[in-house]
Amino acid sequence: MAALCHDLGHLPFSHAAEDTLPEKWTHEDLSLAIIRSPEMKVIWKDLKISPEDVGKLAVGSKHYPGRLTDWETLLSEIIIGDAFGADRMDYLLRDSHHAGVSYGRFEHHRLIDTMRILPRQEEEEIVLTLGIEHGGLQSAESLLWARYFMYTQLYFHPVRRVYDFHLKQFLKEWLPGGKFSIDVASHLKLTDAEVLSAIRVAASDPSAAGHEPARRIVRREHFKRIAEITEADRDIDANATERLASELIEKFGRQAVFTDRYTQKGKGIRFPVLTRDGSIEWSIALSDTLKQVPTFTVEYVFVDPLLSEEAKRHVTAFRRQLRDERGEKK
Amino acid sequence: MNTREQSALLLDLAVHLRDNGSWAGETHVQKTAYLLQNLLGVPSGFEFVLYKHGPFSFDLRESLNQMEAERFIGLQEQPYPYGPTIIEGKAASRLRASTDVAQRYVRPLEFLAGHLGRANVADLERIATALYVTLESGISPGARVGRLVELKPHIPVAEAAAAFGKLEEIRVAAFNSGLQPLIGSITLREQLIAAGHPNQ
Repeated sequence: MAALCHDLGHLPFSHAAEDTLPEKWTHEDLSLAIIRSPEMKVIWKDLKISPEDVGKLAVGSKHYPGRLTDWETLLSEIIIGDAFGADRMDYLLRDSHHAGVSYGRFEHHRLIDTMRILPRQEEEEIVLTLGIEHGGLQSAESLLWARYFMYTQLYFHPVRRVYDFHLKQFLKEWLPGGKFSIDVASHLKLTDAEVLSAIRVAASDPSAAGHEPARRIVRREHFKRIAEITEADRDIDANATERLASELIEKFGRQAVFTDRYTQKGKGIRFPVLTRDGSIEWSIALSDTLKQVPTFTVEYVFVDPLLSEEAKRHVTAFRRQLRDERGEKK
Repeated sequence: MNTREQSALLLDLAVHLRDNGSWAGETHVQKTAYLLQNLLGVPSGFEFVLYKHGPFSFDLRESLNQMEAERFIGLQEQPYPYGPTIIEGKAASRLRASTDVAQRYVRPLEFLAGHLGRANVADLERIATALYVTLESGISPGARVGRLVELKPHIPVAEAAAAFGKLEEIRVAAFNSGLQPLIGSITLREQLIAAGHPNQ
């Protein structure tokens, strides 16, 4: 039940809209609020389980306002853990399927079959944690690479990301006070369908709240990516993205420029492996492949499509300037 | 403090700890960052909760993840079951060049690393939890040792009391070094009496 309830609090369009929750609220907080709601209490009563037990396991230590026992922590890790959480396995496989790509697929049956609860030293004591038998190591490698590929090829595709940006612009103008309600009943009334319908209405009515971003979404007149700041650029100027963005903002105005920065959190490449001789080793000590899984990070700069040609010329000049600075540094 | 400043502070905290003989794993950084913020008043802006092994910040863990991704820190692997040591990453100089925050707080960083560089994770857990209890509202000085044992039943009373003693020692040393610790005297003796410690 905890696994099923983990994502109950997702807003319309899931993570894309999460910035429009009140400060410090996350979808996990909403999941917990729903689990504790009178509507769900009936179900828990029938099943003879406690909503608090479900809530703890569903959202984990980070979001549950109380302590979890060692066993609760372990059970929660099975659902939301960085390495082999069911949530992660599910979203990679499901998103891959629905997006029509293969990047997110991996041998999940073998992975699940070889998962083991193993001891791990934590401070002064031995705690139990999720690990894997040596024979499942390649399945775990494929999961972690699948995640990397899904991030690079799908989740952070620049066009997909820019639609998140326009969606958030729309929601900030369309929602009362620019924020989603954290009231459970209001939350449950609002789905992707209501938001899509509102976008369509606003797109055709110039006086409607959120008309401009709605129009961009419906007519596919989204901002264009004109630069991707790389590690090499940052080696020359650690603040290269901010610098380019502020130059573009000065030239075209704040409304015409969008900067998108993201670094993948929780790689999950370090987990215990039960070797064939019965000893336990870190995965990273046994797998050269895992050591090579890059941490995904992007820094994109987007501008209004009407300005993109001029902005690209500016980016060319900016890069030339960076190269000159690199020459000076050398 | 913005994200970059937080990262630069954590980087130099880990480096100072290692220079002072620390293993410099995540737990060492977590606990000393808590003391840096809540004892020495460095406004790093991390939100700490009392977790299984004392004060812990999920934000700080995310910062370390991000820093590793940006190569500001590297991880030196250790044999199972030990966690990795945090070392300077290839892009550490880039981070330092982007903010002077570590320079601004170099004295508290050096002070804390000097005092706790050789402390192991168990000591750090106790000292950091002692500070957490000290800062808890509604806990009188005399009840603090008892409260620490209540929160951490695996810690014997004598060791809980010793943790308050060490915290007091650090506080006094900080004060004598010209730093301004955020808490006043802890009145250790009063706590030991209240906890029924046999030496009192």
